[in-house]
Amino acid sequence: MKSEILYPGAFPMVRVELAAGENIKAESGAMVACSPTIDIESKMEGGFLGALSRKFLTGEKFFFQTLRASRGPGEALLAPTVPGEIVILELDGVNEYMVQKDGFLAGADAIVIESKMQGLSRGLLGGEGFFILKISGKGTLVLNSFGAIHKIELKPDQEYIVDNSHLVAWSSTTSYNIEKATSGWVASFTSGEGFVCRFKGPGLVYIQSRNPGSFGAWVRQFIPVSE
Amino acid sequence: MTQFSPNALCFGDEFPAAGAPCLVHIEEHGLTVAFVSDTTDGQPESVPFTSLTVSAGGLDHDQLVVKWAGQKGERTLYLKNPDVIRAFRQSAPDYVSHSFEQAAERVRQVRHRGRLVWSLVGGMFLATVLGLWFQSDLLVEIAVSRIPVEWEQKLGESAYRDFLSHQEVMKEGSAVAALAEMTQRMTTQIPDNPYKFEVTVVKSDVVNAFALPGGYVVVFTGLMKKAASGEEVAGVLSHELNHVLQRHGLERIVKSLGLMTVTAIVFGNQQGLVGMMKQLGVELFTLKFGREQETEADLTGLQLLQRAKIDPSGMITFFERLSEKDQGRMEWLSTHPMSADRAERLKAELAALPKKSPEPFTFDWKQVQTSLGP
Repeated sequence: MKSEILYPGAFPMVRVELAAGENIKAESGAMVACSPTIDIESKMEGGFLGALSRKFLTGEKFFFQTLRASRGPGEALLAPTVPGEIVILELDGVNEYMVQKDGFLAGADAIVIESKMQGLSRGLLGGEGFFILKISGKGTLVLNSFGAIHKIELKPDQEYIVDNSHLVAWSSTTSYNIEKATSGWVASFTSGEGFVCRFKGPGLVYIQSRNPGSFGAWVRQFIPVSE
Repeated sequence: MTQFSPNALCFGDEFPAAGAPCLVHIEEHGLTVAFVSDTTDGQPESVPFTSLTVSAGGLDHDQLVVKWAGQKGERTLYLKNPDVIRAFRQSAPDYVSHSFEQAAERVRQVRHRGRLVWSLVGGMFLATVLGLWFQSDLLVEIAVSRIPVEWEQKLGESAYRDFLSHQEVMKEGSAVAALAEMTQRMTTQIPDNPYKFEVTVVKSDVVNAFALPGGYVVVFTGLMKKAASGEEVAGVLSHELNHVLQRHGLERIVKSLGLMTVTAIVFGNQQGLVGMMKQLGVELFTLKFGREQETEADLTGLQLLQRAKIDPSGMITFFERLSEKDQGRMEWLSTHPMSADRAERLKAELAALPKKSPEPFTFDWKQVQTSLGP
């Protein structure tokens, strides 16, 4: 699987080259165009129960697509639903990432996607919900975001504070705590931040430059209300 | 080097922030760390146990974090491979394994607390669901309270007119006047009465009376003939009026329509109910009230009689007389099973009520009965 980001910026696409017989998984609906040599199959990743739990628990799609180059080498173009950047990560079998539920776009066949339950405070206040995706294995992983993706590199014990709804993915060697944005409860909310995540290294944290929830709220005020 | 499959991530100043994949081996004296692109003269770095500090780390505190001061600054190793962790535990000398055990204990505590919190949350959730399930009567009541009286009247009226069109209705006469007097005396004693009660006498030997939602009451002449006094009929009437006032019919309908409907009504969708109730119109007559509803109608009926200064003992004597071995068609009993308990409870309730001197009706009951014919 060779991948390349086309039109980097707000409206990117990923071009994935597949060798004959190779297959990748992608988020359902991600395929934009592909060579005639590629077959599209839907697959319940993790079996029926796994797919069911993913659907109901993370809100992720029930089916993933599998793009299989069954009749010779070919390429596929993939794109996410929302405007925003795409980032390509290489998993080496040791590092693993937690990915918020809308962040996964595509991945090599050998990567493993699981739903993982977060702790109570992280689930309630972290802005990602109770269930996130844990992605491990070996191969290419393609993530997408809302807005631009920014990578934060944390040295051991280095801390960084991230607004909870801006998270895209973070390595499992990091840890984080949810806390109020300011010392007072009222000021936390009037400052517009509410809760934030205090990350502690080592590891990587990918954040998105726009907050989908806030954007939705902003759009909502322009939608005419029909009675 | 053949296939290099790393089992840990190493962090340090010269490594990328994501960590350098490395292969950790546990040996007798310490551990060796080999990197993919080993720049330190191809030899794996070997670290004795004496220079290690151990703790738990990572997102879920489930990784073993090993730190030491290397030749090129501080190194931090994140281990999560269970085999490596087990090997480490077995080979590490006491002074290291002591802090290892402490770290493990902290991990266990974190996990234990997590499980405790989740089981608490799960328990509360389960309790709420079970509570709602068994308290569905409460939900039904909430739903019923949200249905406007006008709808109830519309529903009852269509069924009522439909029923009367097949029956011989008494329009006038002393029996109609007597019932009108009873109804008048009782309804004036109902505070904030939203219902306009309509009581009709139907010629039939059936010993029965019934009330439809919205305040439509039918009394059969058969029942009036069986009654020994106006107070006895008033007792039955009071019972039926209270079925209406307590909206028992509506509760039964909502209950038979199911919990989904109830929730729909509670959360504001009442439109759908009208259509469903139209279909149910005919079934209104087959609605049987529950035991609790009967008891409620009995008790509130008794209180209403008391307020209207009608002798409440008529209600009890009529019930008792009907429950005795009796011939004829006793429909009222089939829908209002008369148990000894029920009579006893009514008597006890009556005894608890403050005594009021009853005022007699203006009609003569014997005369009313003779007007009904043989």
